[in-house]
Amino acid sequence: MKRLCCFLFAWILLTGVVWADSIKIPIAAPFTGPLASFGEGMKNGALLKAEEINAAGGINGKNVEIVLEDELCDPKEAAMVATKLANDPKVSVVVGHLCSSSTLAALPVYRGAKLPAISPASTNVSIGKMSPYYFRNVYKDDFQGLFLAKYVKTVKGYKKVAIFYEVNDYSMGLMLAFMKEAKKLGIKILGTEAYTADTTDFKPQLTKFKMMKPDAIFIPGYAPHETIIISQARSLGIKNVAFFGADGLDDDLMVKNPDTEGLFVTTPFLPDKAGPQAAGFVKAYRKKYGKDPNWFAANTYDAVGICAQAIKAVGQNREKIRDYLASINSKDKAYDGVAGKTYFDKNGDCLKEAFVKKIKNGKWVSAEKQLQ
Amino acid sequence: MENLLDQSSLFLQQLVNGITLGGVYALIAVGYTMVYGVIQLINFAHGEIYMLGAFLAYTMVTVLGIPFFAAFILTILVCACFGVILDFVAYRPLRKAPRLAALITAIGMSIFLQNLALMIWGSQIKSYPRDMFPAIFLKPALSIGEVSMTWIQVFMLSITVLFMVILHLIIHKTKIGTAMRAVSQDKTTSALMGIGVNRVIAFTFAIGSAMGGMAGALVGLYYNAIFPTMGYIAGIKAFAAAVLGGIGSVPGAMLGGGVLGIAEVMGAGYISSEYRDGISYAVMIAVILFKPSGLIGRQIGEKV
Repeated sequence: MKRLCCFLFAWILLTGVVWADSIKIPIAAPFTGPLASFGEGMKNGALLKAEEINAAGGINGKNVEIVLEDELCDPKEAAMVATKLANDPKVSVVVGHLCSSSTLAALPVYRGAKLPAISPASTNVSIGKMSPYYFRNVYKDDFQGLFLAKYVKTVKGYKKVAIFYEVNDYSMGLMLAFMKEAKKLGIKILGTEAYTADTTDFKPQLTKFKMMKPDAIFIPGYAPHETIIISQARSLGIKNVAFFGADGLDDDLMVKNPDTEGLFVTTPFLPDKAGPQAAGFVKAYRKKYGKDPNWFAANTYDAVGICAQAIKAVGQNREKIRDYLASINSKDKAYDGVAGKTYFDKNGDCLKEAFVKKIKNGKWVSAEKQLQ
Repeated sequence: MENLLDQSSLFLQQLVNGITLGGVYALIAVGYTMVYGVIQLINFAHGEIYMLGAFLAYTMVTVLGIPFFAAFILTILVCACFGVILDFVAYRPLRKAPRLAALITAIGMSIFLQNLALMIWGSQIKSYPRDMFPAIFLKPALSIGEVSMTWIQVFMLSITVLFMVILHLIIHKTKIGTAMRAVSQDKTTSALMGIGVNRVIAFTFAIGSAMGGMAGALVGLYYNAIFPTMGYIAGIKAFAAAVLGGIGSVPGAMLGGGVLGIAEVMGAGYISSEYRDGISYAVMIAVILFKPSGLIGRQIGEKV
């Protein structure tokens, strides 16, 4: 009996390998932990794209198989996941990671293994310059911070701003970019304060902000902490001060908190501002998941599409895929995705539009005034 | 002049924040220090009792619809039971084993409870919805100029002081308190004198865990953020507070908690918020360097 079991088990294993003649595309992102809902957007976007590719006959007759690699937005975990992927000969390109700090931790591993990767979400400035194997189809924080400063000045007219940032690569990069542009535009920065990811007591820093009396407070962090920050600020009596942030706040978590009314953020994708090419995607996404796609879903949908196009053209060869991606370097060669046209500069970065959305009556809506 | 007024109200507001935080640390630190006093064990699972307290109160209020104050009292009772069970399951079988075995078990229990909470409640940060939040807590109790103290801060501080007084009375005025002091001095002799040592230890765990669970329920409401790893950082800080005050000494734990809370908030407010935790640990290290027994570790001879 035991022998039979062993045999059956071995048989399943072996044939499993034979059957699995599919093209693996790993998605590395946080699928559990505090930022799981960001990862869910990436997962949904990737699965939808894979489904559509497979329904249309796959890539050169082979099916695309999305493999989810959970790294909790923790740089240590990200490096481990990256090592695992780099050592898997069936992996020829990676979509990920989500958090900038994770991407920066995984980057040297991919560079060492000559494994190309596309991040649909990491916006820290230094990523592209550090590796010829890293690409991204999202804008960078120097652009996002500059955009926000312009928006705050021209549309909102704020003169005095305080900044409350988290100690991580994403948040600090945004802060620096914002401050640089704010200085040029004459926005006064009253002060900057920091917090670390493992704390939930923001009252000492917020008390300082209260005494500074700013027009608005810039919170360039991630949604799970920022929703608590806004609530604690309100409970300290910071009432007539606006809050604004960047794409790390674009999450449904924020609208569950009634204190966030009026918050506005930058985002790379808005369903109602996207071009005609996005209409089919938004419709299919709504049908499959019962809600509107967020920017993580849209950008990951595109990233998987870019990978599929590369594999179709040059096969599953890491070096050839890298060269193919690097050759998408001008507007007319651009990949025309649901979140705009993607083409890479010499660092593997790209330039895309930013939009503004805000919370009104407990819902995310597109801001009336955009800045193009 | 206005600037000076701003500066002084900033200082006072930070002091209020610091004392509230210090009270929380003191409540948790008492649990560490009492258990250490009685069986010389650093109960690393104590931070997890605090975390369970926060989750229990949250679940009772949001899922079962129990009013907060009733849920608060229930949480304290359930956490006291948890403490007794923890002792019975994990530490009592190791009473005669080397101390290191019990210490490793404590770390194991901490990891186990953290993952249990992760399985039950998930990893997302939980918050009380606005309509379930006791409305009175958001209103300011007193405000002078820019300085204000909310009802929840008043409630937390008075609960902390009240239970510290009750604890003092239990230890010094009751029979079981006398037994606790006896066991902390010498287990074998106490047993020969007819004291049920295991019963006394179980009682110590019950009291310590009740205070830890209470701190958890209060903090869950105060910061409105409840997550499975919250006990880890709070536990480490409270342990630092217990060491700062002199481990084994209950008044020391209270003082240590207060000092650590104020140092942390003032450090974040005046020196650098980026190195906030570093500043509070630096204060602890400085005290231990110059006074290895802690702030009032030696003067108080008894250890409970």
